Amino acid sequence: MINRRDFLAASTLGAGAMALAPAFNQVFAAPNASSSPKRFIFIRKSSGIRPAEIALRDFSDSDKTLDKNKEPFEADLDKHELPKWLRGLDTHKEHMTILQGLSAKMSENIHWSFSSVMGCFKSNRNTLSAIKRTTIDFELARLFPSPFGHVELSFAGGRTGIVDGYSAPAPQTRNYCYADPDTARKELFKSVLNPDAVSSDNDMLAFLQSREGLRLSGVAGHEKKRQEMHLQSIDSIRERNQKLIEISETIAKHLPEIDAVHANGGKNASTPEKQAAMTDVLVSSLIAGLTNVVTYTIDDLGTPITGLPGNETDRVGIHPLGHDEAFGGVPAWMTREQIRISHVNQIRTIIERLKQVPEGNGTMFDNTMIMYFPENGETHHGVGKESPFVIMAGSNCSLDMAGRYIRLPYLGNAGHKTLGNWYTTLLNAHGNPIEHYGDLDPEMARKKLPQTGAIQQLMG
Amino acid sequence: MSVNVHYAASSFLCALVILVSTDAFAQADEPAIPQSISKVLSGNCLDCHAGESAEGDVRLDAISELNLSGRLELLNRVQEQLYFQQMPPADAKKPTTNERTLLVDWVSRELQKHNASKLEQKLHRPEFGNYVDHDQLFSGEHADLPGFTYDRRWLISEYIFNAKFDRMLHGRTTWNYRGKRVTVFGGKRFHQLTPTNPFLLPTRTGVRYYANTDLTGGHLSTMLTNAQKTAEMITGYLVPRHRKSRDQYLPAIVKIMALEDQHNATLLTRREFLETNIAQVCQNLYGDQNNSLLPTFVPVVLKEVKELAEGETYKKAPIHVAQNMLSKLGGEDAMYQMLLQPELNDLSNEEIRLRCERQWFYNGDHERTIQGRATILRDYLPEFRERLKEKGTKIKLRIYKPLADEEMAIIHTAIKAHRKQGDFYTAVIDRCMTHWEEDFRRDRVEAGPPSDELLAELVQQLSLQILERTPDSGEMSDYVALVRSYQKKTGNLKAIQKLIQTLMLSSEFAYRQEFGSGKPDEHGRRMLSARDASYAIAYALTDQSPDKELAEAAASGRLQTREDYRREIKRILARRDLHYLIDPNLTDRNYRDNVTNAPIRKLRFVREFFGYPRALTIFKDEKRFGGDRLGNAMNRLINEADRLVEYILENDQNVFEELLTTENFYVYHDGDNERMQAASDRIKRIYHHFRDTDWQNFKKEDLLDHRDFLKEVKMRSVDPDKLDARNRQGNTIQLFKKSMTTITARLDKGQREAAPYDLYRGYGNDFMSGYNVAKFFNFSLDNWDYQTIQPARVANRRGLLTHPAWLIAHAQNTETDPVIRGKWIREKLLAGTVPDVPISVDAVIPEDHSKTLRHRLAQATETDYCWKCHRHMNPLGYAFEQYDDFGRYRDKESLEYPDKLISEGPEQRGNHLIDTRDVFETLPVETRGELEGTGDDSLDGQVAGAMDLAERLAKSERVRQSIIRHAFRYFMGRNERLSDSKTLIDADQAYINSNGSFDALIVSLLTSDSFIYRKAIEK
Repeated sequence: MINRRDFLAASTLGAGAMALAPAFNQVFAAPNASSSPKRFIFIRKSSGIRPAEIALRDFSDSDKTLDKNKEPFEADLDKHELPKWLRGLDTHKEHMTILQGLSAKMSENIHWSFSSVMGCFKSNRNTLSAIKRTTIDFELARLFPSPFGHVELSFAGGRTGIVDGYSAPAPQTRNYCYADPDTARKELFKSVLNPDAVSSDNDMLAFLQSREGLRLSGVAGHEKKRQEMHLQSIDSIRERNQKLIEISETIAKHLPEIDAVHANGGKNASTPEKQAAMTDVLVSSLIAGLTNVVTYTIDDLGTPITGLPGNETDRVGIHPLGHDEAFGGVPAWMTREQIRISHVNQIRTIIERLKQVPEGNGTMFDNTMIMYFPENGETHHGVGKESPFVIMAGSNCSLDMAGRYIRLPYLGNAGHKTLGNWYTTLLNAHGNPIEHYGDLDPEMARKKLPQTGAIQQLMG
Repeated sequence: MSVNVHYAASSFLCALVILVSTDAFAQADEPAIPQSISKVLSGNCLDCHAGESAEGDVRLDAISELNLSGRLELLNRVQEQLYFQQMPPADAKKPTTNERTLLVDWVSRELQKHNASKLEQKLHRPEFGNYVDHDQLFSGEHADLPGFTYDRRWLISEYIFNAKFDRMLHGRTTWNYRGKRVTVFGGKRFHQLTPTNPFLLPTRTGVRYYANTDLTGGHLSTMLTNAQKTAEMITGYLVPRHRKSRDQYLPAIVKIMALEDQHNATLLTRREFLETNIAQVCQNLYGDQNNSLLPTFVPVVLKEVKELAEGETYKKAPIHVAQNMLSKLGGEDAMYQMLLQPELNDLSNEEIRLRCERQWFYNGDHERTIQGRATILRDYLPEFRERLKEKGTKIKLRIYKPLADEEMAIIHTAIKAHRKQGDFYTAVIDRCMTHWEEDFRRDRVEAGPPSDELLAELVQQLSLQILERTPDSGEMSDYVALVRSYQKKTGNLKAIQKLIQTLMLSSEFAYRQEFGSGKPDEHGRRMLSARDASYAIAYALTDQSPDKELAEAAASGRLQTREDYRREIKRILARRDLHYLIDPNLTDRNYRDNVTNAPIRKLRFVREFFGYPRALTIFKDEKRFGGDRLGNAMNRLINEADRLVEYILENDQNVFEELLTTENFYVYHDGDNERMQAASDRIKRIYHHFRDTDWQNFKKEDLLDHRDFLKEVKMRSVDPDKLDARNRQGNTIQLFKKSMTTITARLDKGQREAAPYDLYRGYGNDFMSGYNVAKFFNFSLDNWDYQTIQPARVANRRGLLTHPAWLIAHAQNTETDPVIRGKWIREKLLAGTVPDVPISVDAVIPEDHSKTLRHRLAQATETDYCWKCHRHMNPLGYAFEQYDDFGRYRDKESLEYPDKLISEGPEQRGNHLIDTRDVFETLPVETRGELEGTGDDSLDGQVAGAMDLAERLAKSERVRQSIIRHAFRYFMGRNERLSDSKTLIDADQAYINSNGSFDALIVSLLTSDSFIYRKAIEK
């Protein structure tokens, strides 16, 4: 692992990335210590994951007691049956980790967390000035550069098109995201689907380059260097566009085909159809090498849900469901479970698709980590004392946690870990030696309990 | 551009000496080391820096083995060590002055040969500002050097970025200011557009906005997205919105788009008409035949509702949820049109649903959409009908109104041409639309592209709107050709958008220009061009472009002398008719009192210099604070610090001294003494009215005996006419008693005035948010002798350095930070320097449950190695140990460890009078500190605490001059040089002679040679 000094030295250009536009930071990204590509998929869900509904049903009595009392322990997943909603991943249990006991009180809880769950700060109801730091996904994207750097997909609010996202490429900035599969496909595969748009951008950049070039004459010293930097910046963008055009043949091979029902935002597509199409675009963009990091807000409280088993013709709302208000004669908990099952189906698809793509001595999935987690903590009105994570990681995962149910010490106790510790673990394990990522927990601080750094028991 | 490194370094008392063999630089193209240098070097440093065990891994005896880049790297390190006085160690042998000068000169020359000196760039950075010798700057010895700034561009700040968008996009933000709604500068939201600001300033305390930041690929790529979104907003929202107003927005776009806009408007009208009325139109057109042309109706299948399993419960989602969903599914209008028709009143729910379904089916709506709507109607129609009866609806029963005859004829013709047997109505509409669109497109092709004159008009207007200037003839022809090429490829609209993007991506948009013009004087200096000067002045005082008067002055030749500058600067400083948002963070938090009417950059200097707004970013624990709503309290704390600064700036007398020593503060006060007095009087009235009654045992009916009084004073949620009302905090009588409890607590201990905070703790605020701000100042809500007239004296406080906002901003999450506080004073007030923490140092304060933080810190930092630097900080910071990390005054420090816990604090439980803090064992705090570095023996020496320290600092000439140096950097955007000596001395004198006027200081700086004169960059 590289040390902090080496990292800072290597990422001199990376410091400039603090002000980068979404989807461009890779050009200025810090070099990664490791040569093998790693991929990260963050799947955010709304309305919490209740710790009890992710606990294993057939724990031994002693483990059951420990789990109930929220005391630390570990269990092998292959010796237990997964909860019903997770069974879609039964055949991939050896890649699974259920991580219980992380707290998320330093991010926003209750109904929404906006950017904060991936940045470990209070989001002040989604105001820009509250975005305190680059979110974890963008931090990882800097370590593993790619043409798009980072891709954000979202079904939040039932919106369509290109809209504000929740990830933050830098403090006080907000990423944009693709809010429907059709848009995501058109934008990510633009160099194949709409080369004229790329070419039109390049015309503009060429003009700018020639005009700014004229300013070089008659300037000296630092102003000259500045102007040269400006020209280089324009050139970098042109180069990226050019690179996309050059690899368009490769990209075209992985162009996802999606059903006509998704045209113009896909207002008539059912939720399973939308999810499947988005997953298709997500996987295709990974396979085409367009990005290594994807954040996917699979739902939020405003996402309209239709076509789920049991509620086939209903339109159901996640917010009312969180308040146990139900639709179509189906109790709320059942519909909530169906929603989670639909999420798990997407995770399974991603794993199985990536397992079919050879990479190195194995498959693309070997270098992939999928994290499925609640944006707001442990219930519909989360308070952040717990924030369960389901992690699916391939064989080359840098962390030692596969195939285990891990319950960490509860908040306020020695050895407790926060979201900040978890994200620090991810960064440390992948080449960023940051001492601690994110805000600290006030209760741990009040009790003078150590709370910085990676989760050592997971470090490989 | 070069910095006089040699001069500054030659005055140092130490030098790191290197031994280099005389032939080390004789290799390749390198010259030999002069004998004189070799001699100087050979006698001094090999003891430490030679051989395998060379200290610090700096091996100077092997330099001849290094390649060019290695040698330059080493020389850069040597140059820095010389300049920053870090080597040799204090106890080592010193070279003579002559030896030192020779060495410095030679190193500097060698680096300059390769343009490789890193020191020069470093010295431009703010953290190196104090390395220019303070005494020399103010001694007068260099006052005859001609002041100037190099020609430069200065990257816009985050604030100027917002202001540019505000101006360009006609933004209008209104905010509260002293009870009135006013239009303010500083808003950053424009209709649907929230541009990403790539020009954010660093978050450090001190001067944040410097001219040495470069435009990078990061800025540019962010601007690409911003430019694209802005172009869409301009053409899609602003131009259409102002099309018919007297002040048309970019009329050239209106002209270019006129035909297309007219076509689009026609198409939109036709589409809207048809989407609402096609059934009626077709009925009129085809009569009895119409039904036979429609497709065969197939009802959708709805999922059956199963019976619940035994023991299962079911809570149906409420009607408002269903209504919202029906609306989003586009089914609400059809349902209400049915329900509103009197002749359909007798239809059953099932019949209504089927009628709706049939209408949607013929329309061609998607099966799933119909299913969704129909399911909602099946499950909720009875409730919709009930709701309609009780509450009505905003949707009105629609009466069919055809368009004008000519339009109807066109529509009829198109429908007849395109309708086929079995068509859904949507398909008919789509075919008609396609037909008309094609017709219109042909019309536009026939009309031809925009003329060159019109495109020139466009370029002219956009250039003014975006770059605020008229393009010259060369630019004009380039841009016209460019937009013409865009137009050929992409059509009118996209071409206009692309031109907007092109202009926004120009470096001119991102940089402020500051170049001299005219004939150079004998020193090679030229005055700022009038236009650049107008921007330099405007941006020095505000974030906005020059106001009308300033722009006119520049355009009419009245901005060419120092007196011209003085006139305009004084005029702008005196303006009070414009309003500015102070803190964008507070704005985002929807904090209401956040506006000033003085030019914003004056107040911002003090904010940034002291750095107290940083308190907002320090994450604090409510339990340790002692109460909830800490965020609101913090907002108010920052805002009231701002108000205090504004008050001092407005008085404009002894400004620095006042900032450092004022005894008067604002605490939970909005600056309006009358309003605060009235609020206190109201509470006192209630108290006196009920004081002698047995209100604790009132029953709700007893309130009726006080009905008239209660109606008049309006106690929150206590309406004698609604005795049975309740909210989450209780019913009327309970809330009355809760309120009386807190009212009594405000006045029953001899308090003269009542603090006007919430009568009880509920949602929202009765009066102003942030009442817990009192806790920072050690005021307990249940015993607070509130001051209605403020700013007012607060015990144990003296100046901004004892204001909780500053103290929190310079503290850690759970502890104070004497080091950071001491460092701030050393650097900001004493013009001193403290090296960065060496990278090898792991700065951790040891845990010890039986010691105060001061003593633990001493344990870690008062060793010989650490004390070299810490002696410049700790003794200054220790004085502030009389305040805790929330800025609360204390004489004892709580040992906040579980093993020192005496009692746990209570929970808040809806009672805002409770202090929730845990109680721990304590130790007395030691506040003794030491002031060193004012250069004044009567001030330097031991200090009893923070207030004593503040008093002494305020009397120090060096402190005054240090603040002036920072003001120089703030207004000039760069570090001072010896050639700015006269500017600084004049500014100091202006301040002294005006009895401490900050305005006088600003005028002096902005009319100085350093501001007015520009010199070409030396090639």
